[in-house]
Amino acid sequence: MERQIINKKKRVFSVEPNKSHSAAFTRKYISHLVPALKKLNMNKNSSQITQQTVKHEVDMALALSAQEFAWSRFLLQKLSSSKNPTTTTNSSSKGTQVLERPDKEGGDEEGEIEEKLRELQKLLPGGEEMNVEEMLSEIGDYIKCLELQTIALKSIVQDTT
Amino acid sequence: MGGESNEGEMGFKHGDDESGISRVGITSMPLYGKADPFFSSADWDPVVNGGGFSSSHYPPMAMDNPGMSCFPHYPPGSGYPDMTASLLPFGDCGGGGQIGRFLGSDKKGENVGRLIGAGETHHEDHRQVSGDGVLGASPSRKRRQPEAESQRNKKAVEEYQEEPQRGSDQSQKKHKSDQSKETMNKESSQSEEAPKENYIHMRARRGQATNSHSLAERVRREKISERMRLLQELVPGCNKITGKAVMLDEIINYVQSLQQQVEFLSMKLATVNPEINIDIDRILAKDLLQSRDRNAPTLGLNPFTGFQGTIPNVSTTTNPQYNTLPQASKYTTLESDLQSLYQMGFVSNPSTMSSFSPNGRLKPEL
Repeated sequence: MERQIINKKKRVFSVEPNKSHSAAFTRKYISHLVPALKKLNMNKNSSQITQQTVKHEVDMALALSAQEFAWSRFLLQKLSSSKNPTTTTNSSSKGTQVLERPDKEGGDEEGEIEEKLRELQKLLPGGEEMNVEEMLSEIGDYIKCLELQTIALKSIVQDTT
Repeated sequence: MGGESNEGEMGFKHGDDESGISRVGITSMPLYGKADPFFSSADWDPVVNGGGFSSSHYPPMAMDNPGMSCFPHYPPGSGYPDMTASLLPFGDCGGGGQIGRFLGSDKKGENVGRLIGAGETHHEDHRQVSGDGVLGASPSRKRRQPEAESQRNKKAVEEYQEEPQRGSDQSQKKHKSDQSKETMNKESSQSEEAPKENYIHMRARRGQATNSHSLAERVRREKISERMRLLQELVPGCNKITGKAVMLDEIINYVQSLQQQVEFLSMKLATVNPEINIDIDRILAKDLLQSRDRNAPTLGLNPFTGFQGTIPNVSTTTNPQYNTLPQASKYTTLESDLQSLYQMGFVSNPSTMSSFSPNGRLKPEL
């Protein structure tokens, strides 16, 4: 029965091919994350499961599920090099700075835009090593994957509560 | 055009049916496929987007920059491999160089397509059209830098790669341009070529700087605006925003909020982790179902309706959802935003639904 379900899930009909790809991403993501979490559960005592490790697994699952994008490679590099949380936690503090900065005059607009582009680059894993055009494309994919990830995480959390 | 996704990637650009997630999916392979017949047709009506030029074989693209043409020239009948080969040796045109890198990735097809799309305003005409077996002479059209900027008439052609050809080419050029000066003058567009080796044939708009550097810069900026437009569709609530800075702000905020949400959820997951008893299939089925709810109004596909009819044990509260728009009140605002953006494929087979019929909750509540 289980296998049936899995097989049937693979047959996804969609109006647009995009949807099947989103479904594929979600499938991959969950299939990466859930076993990893289970493994975490088994290997460590519950007291040791910090948010850090969970975040690490979450990010790892994201990176593994989206390997066709450049940012996922960067993310993987970051994750494998250190077990620390990725820039996502840091960016939240930086984010407020963007909002609070007073609006510059029109003459400075170009610079302002560049500033924001740089800010955006920091948000994207590996964004700083890309040129702007590439970064903008990757950001789109990153956003999409983040959305999918959010939904997947929500359903996991909901499932266990 | 753009209907098929040549690469199975998520398309966050919805402009043309998600022809590919990772890239500006303005043009995809089908468009490229059209290019061959286009080139082989004897009439070289310029592909134009706006600007009062005669219209084109290409439907207007999402880019609305009249007068900008980034159109790779290649001999008619040449196949796709030819084109990518010719596009690969990109030179110092700023945009070109980056495109070259782009092409280096495995998204070749789309990039090529995009280049074509980007070059919609190709008011080709005169020179090439002048009916003297222009298509046969098309290889000579792959030229680069013009002689001098003082030559306003579109003699500017790009050098293909062979410098020695330049002399003979120029003579041809002059011949053609003499023939069709009137047509050129009618069209009041200046020509200015992108520098050196790239085959992106670019024109300066009337009254704009024709410096090669600024031209490349303009191309680059066009591309960036292009992508920003697509991003605009992706980020919720950005449809009314005009202006790069505000748009970028929105995007930044959105990405940050998404990341924070992920963080929050992972924190929550960490707290509940010890009691975790996850059934992957259940989650997957639920996930797909959630998306199905969202898609109900948009998809009238047979599998879906078939599904609807065969699941008796789905609770009645959920049934209406398949017929009506998902009600925002049932979800958090962010979720509804996500759901409106997020389209997933769904499972057609009804039997999968029964796997979680014991699970009474079919909508996410957080």
